[in-house]
Amino acid sequence: MKGKILGILTVLIVLCTCLAFATSDPWWNLGTSKFLQADNIQNLLNRLSLFGILGIGVAFVIITSGIDLSIGSAVCLCGVLLSILLKVDYKPVESPVVLQVTAAEQTVLLDGVFDTLRPGTTVRYTGGVGSGVIMTVDSVSVAGQQTTVKVQEKLQRNEQDGRLAIAAPIQKLESGDESVVTVPADAEIQVGDQFQLVKADGAVTTQRVTAVTTEGEESRATLAKNPGEKYGSDAFAILLKRHQRTSIPMAIAIVLVVGVLLGFVHGVLVTRVKLQPFVVTLCALLIYRGFSRWLTDDNPAGFGELQQVLGPVASGRVGLAYRGDEMVFGIPIPFFLLTGIGILAAVFLNRTVMGRYLLALGRSEEAARFSGINTSRVTLVAYMICTALAALGGMLFALDNTSVSPSSFGNSYELYAIAAAVLGGCSLRGGEGSIFGVIIGTAVMQVLNNMIMMLKIPQTLEQPVIGTVILIGVLGDELVRRAAAKRRVRQTAG
Amino acid sequence: MVSETPRLEVRDIVKSFPGVKALKGVSLRVMPGEVLSVVGENGAGKSTLMKILAGVQSQDTGTLLVDGKAQKFGSVSDAMSHGIAIIHQELNLADNLEIGANIFLGREPRRFGLINNAQINKDSAKLLKRIGLNVSPKTLVKELTVGQQQMVEIAKALSINARVLIMDEPTSSLSAGESANLFQVIRDLKAAGVSIVYISHRLAEVQDLSDRVTVLRDGENAGELVRGEVTHDSLVRLMVGRDISRFFARNPHSKGKVAIEVKDVVTTAWPKHRLNLSVRAGEIVGVAGLVGAGRTEMLRTLFGVDAPVSGSIEVGGKCVELKSPKDAISAGVALVPEDRKQQGVVLDMMIRQNIGLASLHQHSRLGFLNFGVEQQQSTDMSQRLRVKAPGDFYRVGNLSGGNQQKVVLGKWLAMKPQVLLMDEPTRGIDVGAKQEIYQLMDELAGQGIAILFVSSELEEIIGMSDRVIVMHEGRITGELSREQLSEESIMHLATGH
Repeated sequence: MKGKILGILTVLIVLCTCLAFATSDPWWNLGTSKFLQADNIQNLLNRLSLFGILGIGVAFVIITSGIDLSIGSAVCLCGVLLSILLKVDYKPVESPVVLQVTAAEQTVLLDGVFDTLRPGTTVRYTGGVGSGVIMTVDSVSVAGQQTTVKVQEKLQRNEQDGRLAIAAPIQKLESGDESVVTVPADAEIQVGDQFQLVKADGAVTTQRVTAVTTEGEESRATLAKNPGEKYGSDAFAILLKRHQRTSIPMAIAIVLVVGVLLGFVHGVLVTRVKLQPFVVTLCALLIYRGFSRWLTDDNPAGFGELQQVLGPVASGRVGLAYRGDEMVFGIPIPFFLLTGIGILAAVFLNRTVMGRYLLALGRSEEAARFSGINTSRVTLVAYMICTALAALGGMLFALDNTSVSPSSFGNSYELYAIAAAVLGGCSLRGGEGSIFGVIIGTAVMQVLNNMIMMLKIPQTLEQPVIGTVILIGVLGDELVRRAAAKRRVRQTAG
Repeated sequence: MVSETPRLEVRDIVKSFPGVKALKGVSLRVMPGEVLSVVGENGAGKSTLMKILAGVQSQDTGTLLVDGKAQKFGSVSDAMSHGIAIIHQELNLADNLEIGANIFLGREPRRFGLINNAQINKDSAKLLKRIGLNVSPKTLVKELTVGQQQMVEIAKALSINARVLIMDEPTSSLSAGESANLFQVIRDLKAAGVSIVYISHRLAEVQDLSDRVTVLRDGENAGELVRGEVTHDSLVRLMVGRDISRFFARNPHSKGKVAIEVKDVVTTAWPKHRLNLSVRAGEIVGVAGLVGAGRTEMLRTLFGVDAPVSGSIEVGGKCVELKSPKDAISAGVALVPEDRKQQGVVLDMMIRQNIGLASLHQHSRLGFLNFGVEQQQSTDMSQRLRVKAPGDFYRVGNLSGGNQQKVVLGKWLAMKPQVLLMDEPTRGIDVGAKQEIYQLMDELAGQGIAILFVSSELEEIIGMSDRVIVMHEGRITGELSREQLSEESIMHLATGH
């Protein structure tokens, strides 16, 4: 085992050294090496970290002599889920549903009762053909759970659906270095909300609120941008409250829980129902991929304004070297995550009872069971760790990428993770594996990938190159093992 | 005899493996039409020598002669072309295929490029008739008993006109009836001029069958006995290199309270019968019966591997529910399983890790391993059980069968069981280690552990048991006290009378 890791570590070092010289011009001047440039190393460390997290996860399953083929799809699903959970939209505080617009009587029949509708209130009707019509309330009458609003304007036609947005009257709109809208305080504006400014002629602009001060009856909301001269105080302001589906910690927690649950289902099917891991996770691969596409209508899912908040977790760096104020080199934040997870995983595997059970049952499930080990439960835990790390990886990959295309995101990541684990000394027969080895294996895969870009090898050859190198690695390992066995025989014989 | 050329002969064979020199210059002759037994403790080099004879492996140095001419076997088919065939202890049959297909596997007669099944069936039927196996060659091998499968292997060997037939522990999984049948076939083959090389741990068989016995010890020839000189004691003396005065070490122990009581237990394997038995602390109870009598299934049920269908089990006076080995272990029941390599030990782990496997959770803190206790435990057990290894970091897979069995025992003793179930505790273990296992069983009984052990070796059952329970087709057919024990009384009950 130690020999294996030493072997792959040597391969990594040789590969890096060769690449460093090969990308220098002249070859001996490493200062010119494109491979050693800060950007490249940072990028490499970032990718190593993300793939390493997946690799550690799958290593646990491989140690039980199982396999998880669903990782790539699970990465995609979790990325999509994070995007969906963090979806932000802006809605009017109250936006009554319109049941009936009667043009002849100039009335609008609404579902529900609304305090904010008073004579003189400005409303904007959206829906039907007459979208974006500005109206002023003349009188309001309530009957049961329905409200009839008579408006001052003449209406063009009858409608059967749509919504009303209730506008706050703008008391003042100052434009200057910064634009400030003053509206009645009962609007309860918060930073992050938006104002839709509407002119009587139908022109609309939407602005984010960056600061709010309330004095007595008035709230002053500072807008992100100057809306321009034409939106004077004759315009109306419709407050769009910012609405984020879930808070960031909640969203992350939900995705992680979903990850753990996916593994739980895999594990139950493998240990209780006794289905083959290959089949279970192959089906899971198809299901998660398809489900991700369905959830998003096959459209890319992003993080909008939250990208700026969350993005640094996946692509940020902690500076090590600066030139003036400019960061010359920094360690990617995911690398710290990988280190932390790696240490935890190694301690779990080598220092805890559960880890020992895992290794024992991977080598001989029956002997472990006959020693009183609840092998089903331990295997279940391995599958849960695997998908939980896939969920974490999925979120990081999605944030690093800024958006998720559900049909391709994470494609064949499971194979990269499995290959890295195998390169790093995990045996698919089970019972063998080292966390450090997996990280080194991942590094080899990423350096290879980097090499293909650096040496301008056609991108189409990436997979054959990686496949060949893994094959050579495994072959070399086998040959070394046999040679060692032969040497031992000769020593014994001599 | 003396003037005759040996059909097969090896001289000064040397063979090394990683870490061991298995054969250090062994010689052996097989004469035409004789039964030559090769005996020796495990690790004496019998299996290696047989593999060389059959072309499975090749020797480092030494010569191999067939009919007096030096030959070099590069493969099994080389050996086969000289009429030498081997039947391994673990049978090599494709059990999803028919008998005929197995007999001619790899040598299928063809017609128009397709397999000629008619020919296969005709020839197979002849071979089966010759060895007295009365089934159709179209029967699937998996539908046969182990004894019948062995016969198929013999038929396969005969189909290549084998003149030397090597049999490695052929009776290890046969019932007494099947064994008797096998011996008859061996005698018939011998009468037809086939030479048999017979390897067995069962000295009674060796005594019965052999014309000559070659004894190996530590990869060298330890001696040779001819018919008439072969006795249990003479064999053991040569194998072990010293006298074994008291083979079955039994000391009188006082019996304590009932440690395990089984009431009306119904197993999934034999749902028609109820099992009732009890074992007292300090008592050794043997379970005898033919292969397939339901003895292993009973132990599996008592250990929670297969949960009982109904009935109750009391351990130390308390009623326990055994749904998994975990339940049994926490109740104080341990099992030394029949399949040591699969169920008893994790071959790829160190001695230390194996010994700790069942008890390490007891000593852990917050789920973390306690390496100190693990080390202590392993040192204690290795000494107490006299495990022979360079150190407790040694891989269990590299140990001999006897030492592996000691590791299994160590694992259980580390958790201080009340009841020790043992399934064929000395199977595949050499004579010296067997005696040590017997001694340990006696010691453990002396310490108040109740032992219930299953064995197919009558000598062992008679030698070790305070009391014997006999089973037949899933049912307990009788119980014999130490005074009533004899091969006849046991076999009478074991055959269902």
